[in-house]
Amino acid sequence: MNKELEHNFVELLEKHQNIVHKVCRLYTNNYDAHNDLFQEITIQLWKAYPKFRGDAKFSTWMYRVGLNTAITLYRKSKRTINTQDFNGVEFKIKTEDYDDTEEEQLKILYKAVHQLNDIEKALVFLYLEDKDYREISETLGISEVNARVKMNRIKTKLKTILNP
Amino acid sequence: MDELDLLKKDWNKDDNKYPKLTYNEIYKMILKKSSSIVKWIFIISLLEFAFWTLISFLLKGTKSMEHYDQLDNDPIFISLVVIGYGILAFFFYMFFRNYRRISTTDSAKVLMENILKTRKTVKQYVAFNLIYLVITTFFALYISLNRNEVILDQIEKAAANGEAFKFYAIFIILVVLFLAIAIGILLLFYWVVYGILLKRLNRNYKELKKLEI
Repeated sequence: MNKELEHNFVELLEKHQNIVHKVCRLYTNNYDAHNDLFQEITIQLWKAYPKFRGDAKFSTWMYRVGLNTAITLYRKSKRTINTQDFNGVEFKIKTEDYDDTEEEQLKILYKAVHQLNDIEKALVFLYLEDKDYREISETLGISEVNARVKMNRIKTKLKTILNP
Repeated sequence: MDELDLLKKDWNKDDNKYPKLTYNEIYKMILKKSSSIVKWIFIISLLEFAFWTLISFLLKGTKSMEHYDQLDNDPIFISLVVIGYGILAFFFYMFFRNYRRISTTDSAKVLMENILKTRKTVKQYVAFNLIYLVITTFFALYISLNRNEVILDQIEKAAANGEAFKFYAIFIILVVLFLAIAIGILLLFYWVVYGILLKRLNRNYKELKKLEI
């Protein structure tokens, strides 16, 4: 493939890489797995890039390929299977911004989200990214009504985990 | 406040908490090879096509098949061979058509369906081969028992001893046993390979389908 295409792609991805990191954050729970998934999503994005047309936003297009890779294409490599340690990835959360209870709640919340299944995680991810139900339904290939119903169920599920 | 809204507040708060990869690090990544299940399905499928084509060639090349040279002019045998190649071409075409339809920019559900469809083509091809194997084996068995001189000799000898039935029984049981073992090994292989490969995809596809009800 030609150099210009390569250059454009890498530049765009460098700029929008947080989207991929966020997907990895939800779907993996340690540093190695995070990197592994990041790499696979990057390869899939690159493979799909020649067909990318400017009519969609690059970031919107990334959500789709990123989630599809995480839900469908990605095979966990051997070295990443056994770890359940969510704190393995050291994100620099600025603790001074929160009071203790909120921080504690967030920790439990992230842990709870990690217990959801792959599809539920995808819904949560798009919700956190402020996508509307139309986009959620289009990305996953389900109806808008079902996306709403499922989202409400996930909220209840999280509530139960937090307030048993 | 809703639990998820609390999470959302934090989620979008500070983008600097994620690792920051440089241009060069990302560039190196696009040169690496994918290890996605689609790639594995593609490789394994091609191996399956190769395996079955090879098997048919090997069978034709074996000494025992030389006895059947006379069959080359047998209309049933010729039509079996022609049908075999025709169907191989058909499945090969279908496989590539389905494979090319797999696109990561489709919705999750369509993507999963296309992957499963590609798999199904290969599965049908293998099923066809197993049936084909059974039919040709029985056809060869029938021919052997009727036309193969060595075997006819033995049948005569057995008949002279009053053991014709025993001879037929052993002959047929051996063939059926051979088929059962061959098919058993193949099915076990399938169950293991695709079980591992498609476990996650099947689980997520079911979950999406469940939402439709």
